[in-house]
Amino acid sequence: MEKNDFIKTEYYRNRELSWLAFNERVLSEARDKNIPLFERLKFLSITASNLDEFFMIRVASLKDMVNAGYTKKDIAGLTAQEQLDQIGEAAHKLTGLQYSTYSRSLLPMLRQHGLNIIQEHEALTEEQAKYVDRYFRDNVYPVLTPMAVDSSRPFPLIRNKTLNIGALLSKKNQEEKELEFATVQVPSVLPRIVPLPHGKDGSRNVILLEEVIERNMQQLFLSYDIICASPYRVMRNADLTIEEDEAADLLKEIQKQLKKRQWGEVIRLEVEENIDKKLLKLLRKEFDIRDEAIYKINGPLDLTFLMKMYGMEGFEDLKNPKHVPAPVKELPSDCDIFEEIRKGDILLHHPYQTFDPVVKFVRNAAVDPRVLAIKQTLYRVSGNSPIIAALAQAAENGKQVSVLVELKARFDEENNIIWAKMLEKAGCHVIYGLVGLKTHSKITLVVRREEDGIRRYVHLGTGNYNDSTAKQYTDIGLLTCSAPIGEDATAVFNMLSGYSEPAVWNRLCLAPIWLKKRFLQLIKREKEHAEQGGEGHIIAKMNSLCDRDVIEALYAASAAGVKIELIVRGICCLKVGIPGVSENISVRSIVGNFLEHSRIYYFYNNGQEEVYCSSADWMPRNLEKRVEILFPVESEKLKEELIHILEIELQDNVKAHILQPDDTYVKVDRRGRSALNSQDYFVEEAREKAKTEENPVNSRVFIPEEPAE
Amino acid sequence: MQLITFASIEISSYEVGMKILELSSKYGMKEIDYIRHGLDLGKDAYVHGEVGNEMLEELCEILEDFTRIMKEYQVDDYRACATSAIRDSRNCLLILDKIRVRTGLEVEILSNSEQRFLGYKSIASNEESFQKIIQKGTAIVDVGGGSIQISLFDKDVLVSTQNLRLGIVRIRERLAQVEQRTIHFDEIVEEMINNELSSYKRLYLKDREIKHMILVGDYINQLAGRRRGEKSVSFSREEYQKLYQEVLSGSPQEMVERLGGVTENISLVMPALIIYRRLIEETGAERLWIPGLNLCDGLAYDYAEHKKIFKSSHNFENDIIEAAKNIAKRYQSNKTHLAGTEYLALTIFDKMKRIHGMSRRERLLLQIAVLLHDCGKYISMTRTAECSYEIVMSTEIIGLSHREREIIANAIRFNTEEFVSFEEFSMGCSLDRNDYLLTAKISAILRVANSMDRSHKQKFKNVKVTLKERELIVVVDTVEDITLEQGLFSHKADFFETIFSIRPIIRQKRQV
Repeated sequence: MEKNDFIKTEYYRNRELSWLAFNERVLSEARDKNIPLFERLKFLSITASNLDEFFMIRVASLKDMVNAGYTKKDIAGLTAQEQLDQIGEAAHKLTGLQYSTYSRSLLPMLRQHGLNIIQEHEALTEEQAKYVDRYFRDNVYPVLTPMAVDSSRPFPLIRNKTLNIGALLSKKNQEEKELEFATVQVPSVLPRIVPLPHGKDGSRNVILLEEVIERNMQQLFLSYDIICASPYRVMRNADLTIEEDEAADLLKEIQKQLKKRQWGEVIRLEVEENIDKKLLKLLRKEFDIRDEAIYKINGPLDLTFLMKMYGMEGFEDLKNPKHVPAPVKELPSDCDIFEEIRKGDILLHHPYQTFDPVVKFVRNAAVDPRVLAIKQTLYRVSGNSPIIAALAQAAENGKQVSVLVELKARFDEENNIIWAKMLEKAGCHVIYGLVGLKTHSKITLVVRREEDGIRRYVHLGTGNYNDSTAKQYTDIGLLTCSAPIGEDATAVFNMLSGYSEPAVWNRLCLAPIWLKKRFLQLIKREKEHAEQGGEGHIIAKMNSLCDRDVIEALYAASAAGVKIELIVRGICCLKVGIPGVSENISVRSIVGNFLEHSRIYYFYNNGQEEVYCSSADWMPRNLEKRVEILFPVESEKLKEELIHILEIELQDNVKAHILQPDDTYVKVDRRGRSALNSQDYFVEEAREKAKTEENPVNSRVFIPEEPAE
Repeated sequence: MQLITFASIEISSYEVGMKILELSSKYGMKEIDYIRHGLDLGKDAYVHGEVGNEMLEELCEILEDFTRIMKEYQVDDYRACATSAIRDSRNCLLILDKIRVRTGLEVEILSNSEQRFLGYKSIASNEESFQKIIQKGTAIVDVGGGSIQISLFDKDVLVSTQNLRLGIVRIRERLAQVEQRTIHFDEIVEEMINNELSSYKRLYLKDREIKHMILVGDYINQLAGRRRGEKSVSFSREEYQKLYQEVLSGSPQEMVERLGGVTENISLVMPALIIYRRLIEETGAERLWIPGLNLCDGLAYDYAEHKKIFKSSHNFENDIIEAAKNIAKRYQSNKTHLAGTEYLALTIFDKMKRIHGMSRRERLLLQIAVLLHDCGKYISMTRTAECSYEIVMSTEIIGLSHREREIIANAIRFNTEEFVSFEEFSMGCSLDRNDYLLTAKISAILRVANSMDRSHKQKFKNVKVTLKERELIVVVDTVEDITLEQGLFSHKADFFETIFSIRPIIRQKRQV
C-alpha cells in the first residue's frame, strides 16, 4: 500500500468531537446505577466544569480562527466553522443529557435518600420562606451589587463564568410601561447551596442561592416593579495569547493577560429554559451572540455546585470510602531515601501508592549535609505545597536550589506567580520557563557529594509535583541514581537555564527537539520487524492521541501487521477498523474513579522489550510546543511491573470503553467473565504489596530448603 | 581518597564553556557537568579588532552564572582561560579586568602554543588509545575558531606542529561578503583553504606516512557524538567521506536536519568539515579518531598533573624537547655539538641546584635554549645571535608559553652578545624583572656550557662537575688539547661569576 494512503482525512477524527465523546463517557459514570449516588454527583459536576473549560479554550480558539478568516482544515478535513457547527450540535445534546441525568435520576434519588433540593423558590413552605428571607436580609443583601442599565449607565461588564440574575423592571406608578434592564451577580463569596431547616421527618432541604435572590429581587429595586427575573451565565474567550517576543517581562505580561481574561468575547450564554423572551432578546443583543450559542437549560445553571454537595456532611454510605494510598514498602518513612535508591531503582504507582516518597525525597535533600543542589521543574503545584516548602528550606540551608516554575500552566498562572516569588525570596534560583515553550516535563535532580564523588539522584514522573492531585491521578514515578540518567538530568537543567544542548543524550529523550522523531522511529522499528516476518507489538497508554504523524506511523505499522493496543483516556483522532489501515489497532478508554494520567509506552522490539514513561502524550502540543521527557525503565523487575499495569488495564471490563469503527465508545461486553476493575485491582494490589513479608528467620516455623532439581 | 572538584572554563571565539570534573588518583578524570553557551566573540574580535561592550556584558553574565554553578558543586579550584578571540583583541587587558571585577574570576590568556599543548594533553589524557594510536604516523588536527593546528607524530614522538590561521570563525567572517554572492559557498571555502594547505604540505608534510588522524574541535565532537551516541568515536576514512557527503548535500535547512539538530551555526560546521576532509585527502590517513575532548579537559589534566593527583605515562616534556630538536634539525644545527652542550649545561644546572634555585620547568627552558642556540647560523654566520633570536621568537614551540619562548630567545641572544641592563632589556619586550634574572641565569649556564665545546669536537666527554665553596670545578677527562676552550672560557666564566658568585674552573685530568 502506498504511504500516502494513510493521511486521508477520512481516516482521522476531529479532536473536539472526540473530546466531547470523552465528556460523554464521564457523564456515563454519572448515569451508572452501580456507582454510589454522591460519586455520580461528582462525575456530573466534572462534566460541567470540563465543558466550561472546553468552551473557554477550544471553542474560543475556533471562533478566533473563524473571525480571522483562517481557512486551513483540521486533521479530519473540517474548517473551523464546520467544526463549530458540529460541536454546537453535540454540545447541545450533551447539555440535554446532563440535565436529564440531573433532574430525572439524581434529584429523585437524592430525595429518596432524604435530601431535597428545592428547585424553585415558589415551592418553599411558609416556614422555609421565612427562613430564606431572613437569610437573604442577614447574609446576602449586604454583598449584592445590583446594577440598572439606562441611558446614563451603560451595560456593565458581566464577568466570565459568573452566575447572574437579569431582570426587567418598570417604574412604579408610571402610566407608560417602559422596561428597564437590571442585573445582579450571584455573589461567589457565598455558598451556592443554602441549607434550610430540617423537615419534620428528618429530611434535609437545600435551595440554591440564586433562587433566594430571585425571590427577594424586589428588595433590590424598591421603586420598580419586577416584570421578570431569570439567571444567566456567560462564557468568554479565555485562551491566553501572549506575544512572548514582545513581552520583556513574562511575569508582568501574564498578570496583565489574566486581567484581560474577564473581557474576552462571549462565546456561550446559558439561560433558564423558561426565560422571558424580551429579557433573552436583550441579553442576546448586549452579548452579541448567535442563537446556536445560547443554551436554554432545564435546571440550575452551572452544575459545578454538585461538587460542593458531594462535600456535604453525612451521606457517607452514598460515597466511596476515602482512598488512602498504600505506603511503599521499599521506602518506609524512617529510611534513608538515598541509601534505598542506591540499592536499586524504585517505581512508584500513584495514587495506589503514596506520593509521600517524592515529598520525602525533596525534604530529605533539603536537610542532608551532603546534598549540594536540588533542581526541579514545577508545572502545577498544590496550594500549601510541602514540596515548595522543602525547596525554600533547602535554599535557606545553603543548598543551591534551581526551580523552573512554568508560568504558562493554564489556569494555574496566578498560583505559580505567587510560588515563584516566594521561592525567589527564600534564595532559590527561579527560572520562569522558556520563551515559546511550556515546560511540562516532571523531573527532580538532587546532586549529592559522596565519598567516591558526585552522585545524582533523579525523580522522573508522568504527573505533576502536586501532592493533592497525586491522590486522584494515576501516575508513574521513577526514583533512580543511574549515572547515565543523572548526567542527562543535569543536561536537561543546563538546557532549561539557557545553555547549549549536550553532545550526547544517554537515556532521556526530550521534546520539542528529539522526542517526536524518537517515537516515530520506535513505531517504525516495530513495523520493520513485522515486515521481516517477526512479531510487532505496541502498547501505549496516554491521555490523548491526536498527532497526525504519529497516527500515520501507527496506521503504517498496523498495515504491516503490528499489533497495536492503545489505552487512551481522552481525545483520540485515530479511527479503528479501517480495512487495510487500522484493523490491528484497538483503542480503549478507562474512565474511573481516579483520573487516568500516566503515559506508558511499550515496544516489543523482537523480544528485547522496551518500556518508557513520559510526561508527553502523542499530541502536537506535547511533541512540538513543550519541553517533555521520555525516560526508559530499564530494570527488568520494574519493566515487568509496568507491563503488568498495562496488561491489567487491557483486561479491565468494568470501566473500559472500547472505540468502535463508527467513532462511538461501547463498554466491554463481559460475556459472563468475572468483572475486573483495573483501578480497584491496583488499589488492592498496592495494599498487598505494602504488607511487609514475614522474615523467615523471625518466623517460628522453619522451612526446609527444597532440594534442587 | 583525595578527591578534587575542579572547574575549567574556556572562553573561545564562539562559545563559553565550563566543565566540572572530579580528579582523583583512583578514578582519574571524571566529567560531572559540561555547560556551554554560544557567544560570538570572534565576530567582534576578528572583524573589529576588539570585543564590544554588549558582547562583554553578555560574557560577564555567563561567567557570573558559572561562578554560581561552581559554588553549587563546591569546586576546590578552577582555571579559566581565554583563547584567540580575547588574545587578538586590543582591549584584552581591559576585558580581563572587567571580568575580575564583575565575577571575581581570574582569567588567563593562553598563547596559541599553550592552548594547543593543553588541547593535546586532553587527548593524551585518554591514555591507552592515545599511546596505541601514535605508534604509527599520526596527525592531530585541532580546528578552532581563530586558527587550526596540525601536529604530526611519528613513533610516539611529536615531530612538528604548525598553526594555520584558518579558524572557522575567521573563515566565516572573511567570507561573509562572498556568502551572499554564491550558492557554492563550500567550494569557495575549499579554495581558500587549499592555498594554505598546499604550502603546508610542501614544507612540513612532505612524504611522511600518516596512517591515523585525530580530529579535535567542538563541532566535530558534537556531530560524531550525535551520530554514534558516544563521546569518543572512531571512523574509517570512507565513513568520514560518507558522513561528509550526507551532511553537506542539500539546503542549509536540510543540513541542520542531517546534523541531528546541531542548530548552532551551520556556517561554522561546514568549514570545519571541509578542513578535515582536505587534510584526510592530503595525508592519506586511514583511521580517524574523535576523542570528544577539548581544552577544558586539558586544563583539568594539566592541573591534576601539577598537583600530582595522577601521573601520565606519556612524557609531555619530551614532546617539547622533540619539537625543539626538530626545529634545530630544520636549521641544520650540528647535532653532536648540541648533544654535547646539552649534556654539559644540564650537568652544571643539576650540580648548582642549591645555588640558583631554579625549578624543573626552568631546566627545560635551559635545555630548549641549548637546542636552539645555533639555529641562526642557517641564515647568517655573522649575525647568528640575532637570527637565532628572531627564529625562536617567530617559531611556535608547542607547550611553551609566549613568555617562556621570549626568555629562551633572549638567553640565546645573550649567549654571544653583551648582557644589558634591565632598562635596556625591557624595551620592546614583555618580560619583567624576574624574567630578566631568569634569562641571565639561563644565559650564563648556556655560555659556559657552549664555550666548553667551542671546537664542536666534543672534547669534554667525561666530565665531572663538583661544587667547592665558591668554585665550580669542571674536571675533564680527555687526552685532547683543550687550550682553545680554556682560553675562551675565562670571559664566559666572568659573566657566570657575576650572576651566581661562583667561579667555574676547568681542570684537565690527564689519563696516564
